[in-house]
Amino acid sequence: MIIAERKPLEEIKDMVKGYKKVLNVGCGGCTSICLAGGQKEVNTLNADLKKDLSSENIVLDIDAFVIERQCNYDFFEALDEMIANYDAVISMACGVGVQFVAERYPETPVFPALNTVFCGADRDIGWFEESCRTCGECVLAETAGICPVTRCAKGLFNGPCGGTRLDGTCEVDKDTPCAWYEIHKRLQAQGRLENIIKIKPPRQWENQTRRSLVQEDYKQRYIS
Amino acid sequence: MNEIYGLVRGPLALAAIVVFVAGLIFQARRFFSLTSEKPIVLPPASLLGKIEPRSGPSLDAINNSMLGVHPFLTVITTIFHVCLIMLPIFLLAHNVLLYESFGFSLFVFPELVANIITVIVILGGVFFFLRRIFVYRVRAITTLYDYIILLIVAAPFLTGYMATRQWFDYDTMLILHILSGEVMLVAIPFTKLKHGLLFFLYRYLMRYEHSLGSGTRVWSYSKSVK
Amino acid sequence: MADQEKKPVDTAAIAGMLKKKEPEMKRILNYCVHCSICAESCFLYMAHNGDPQYMPSFKVINSLGKLYKKKGNVDREFLEGIKGLVWGNCALCHRCYCPIGIDIPRMIDFTRSICRSEGVYPEQDGGESWL
Repeated sequence: MIIAERKPLEEIKDMVKGYKKVLNVGCGGCTSICLAGGQKEVNTLNADLKKDLSSENIVLDIDAFVIERQCNYDFFEALDEMIANYDAVISMACGVGVQFVAERYPETPVFPALNTVFCGADRDIGWFEESCRTCGECVLAETAGICPVTRCAKGLFNGPCGGTRLDGTCEVDKDTPCAWYEIHKRLQAQGRLENIIKIKPPRQWENQTRRSLVQEDYKQRYIS
Repeated sequence: MNEIYGLVRGPLALAAIVVFVAGLIFQARRFFSLTSEKPIVLPPASLLGKIEPRSGPSLDAINNSMLGVHPFLTVITTIFHVCLIMLPIFLLAHNVLLYESFGFSLFVFPELVANIITVIVILGGVFFFLRRIFVYRVRAITTLYDYIILLIVAAPFLTGYMATRQWFDYDTMLILHILSGEVMLVAIPFTKLKHGLLFFLYRYLMRYEHSLGSGTRVWSYSKSVK
Repeated sequence: MADQEKKPVDTAAIAGMLKKKEPEMKRILNYCVHCSICAESCFLYMAHNGDPQYMPSFKVINSLGKLYKKKGNVDREFLEGIKGLVWGNCALCHRCYCPIGIDIPRMIDFTRSICRSEGVYPEQDGGESWL
């Protein structure tokens, strides 16, 4: 799940201050689940903005709307019909949604109300933890399901750095378990310790340029 | 009896056919007015790599299609529908009437073949009826309407078969057959039976994952297609 | 349920939304021949041992279909009732298959938007953690 959190109110306020009629669009997907940009959060933000701006004697005309997913244009029909009524849009979707909205309505300023922070899992209500940085070259098979990119402070691929503390925590931050110590423990429990001996070559880090893909089974439909 | 026969075989038949054809045209036009062409954007060739155009569906696609998931049902329904559509068009008796009214006729089935096809359609109707009653998930969404439609479709074939076999009074059976056929014709464009037309329009023209054709149309009642 | 409004449902507004989309929603819903072939295409149906509540046609007929039958004349309890069908029982993954080509997720999306217009949506932090 993509996890996001709301930007500081001051920052959002500065984005929309000068606009007469604003639409705040929430997303029924990831940002609803991570309690950052769903219907409730859209209403809350609108109330917060109105209250804050009224103390500066600015009356903000802001409406609320939610579409199920801001990363697929199939869900945009209702938004298409209302966009002409607004000077600006706040999107409470993840970075993907904000850009998708902006691309569809290039003449309307679209502002992100959230910072998209990571791909993670739900630990408990409101508590999310990063697990994946979408590097595109998953090594979880060899590391017993523990990601060295997100869990190792130095992003090492070939075993611990030698700075592991005696209690198994990371020398950089003692609240963080040493990822490679955890990997070693788990591989040992699974009887797959030979994986830790395998040398992985330097990573090409291909997640720094824009990626795009067509699933193998669906390539045929695009051959004319 | 003769007056009733004259009525159903004459003006009522013509009226039913006109309503049927006009109704289908109306439904097709409505379909086109509710949808629009959407320009297709292809991904860059670099994303596709070296893919050879395949002539037909892959084995995977077939396994995941209706044929792969419901092979028995797919075969039965295909045979049922093909027979259902072909029989009225290529039946000898209907073509005799066509010739008497308009001076031309089409290719006709031999009578034995026509009888077999009729029985297939009737058995298909029985199959779907039983399926509606005994298959739980079908029963969960079945209403009285579904049974009535099934009856409307089965009636012309049942009465037609009974008429040719001369079971019960022939004249009565014949009039019931013609009347039930007219009811079915009129019902087709205005009930769920219009799926006969829509199946082809949807599956070949609409753009979605399972479309059979190139699929360039999308729902755009609000006409804001980009 | 703290934040969701408790005021009566605006049946006229719902009726308006239903009427506006009638050609593509109600009419297409009427095209459904109730064949149930869509069932196996839904992973939730398969994961719940063939429970018809997860069948795509069932979900739409018993939510949007009922809304149209009642012409929007529903109360909050009804909307809360269909919440389970259109949120809990559907991930909007769009993998469902209809031999006639009916776009079921489109209808589920529309039903959700009707519910949302009346402040009815899953309380993610109240344990209704649906997608």
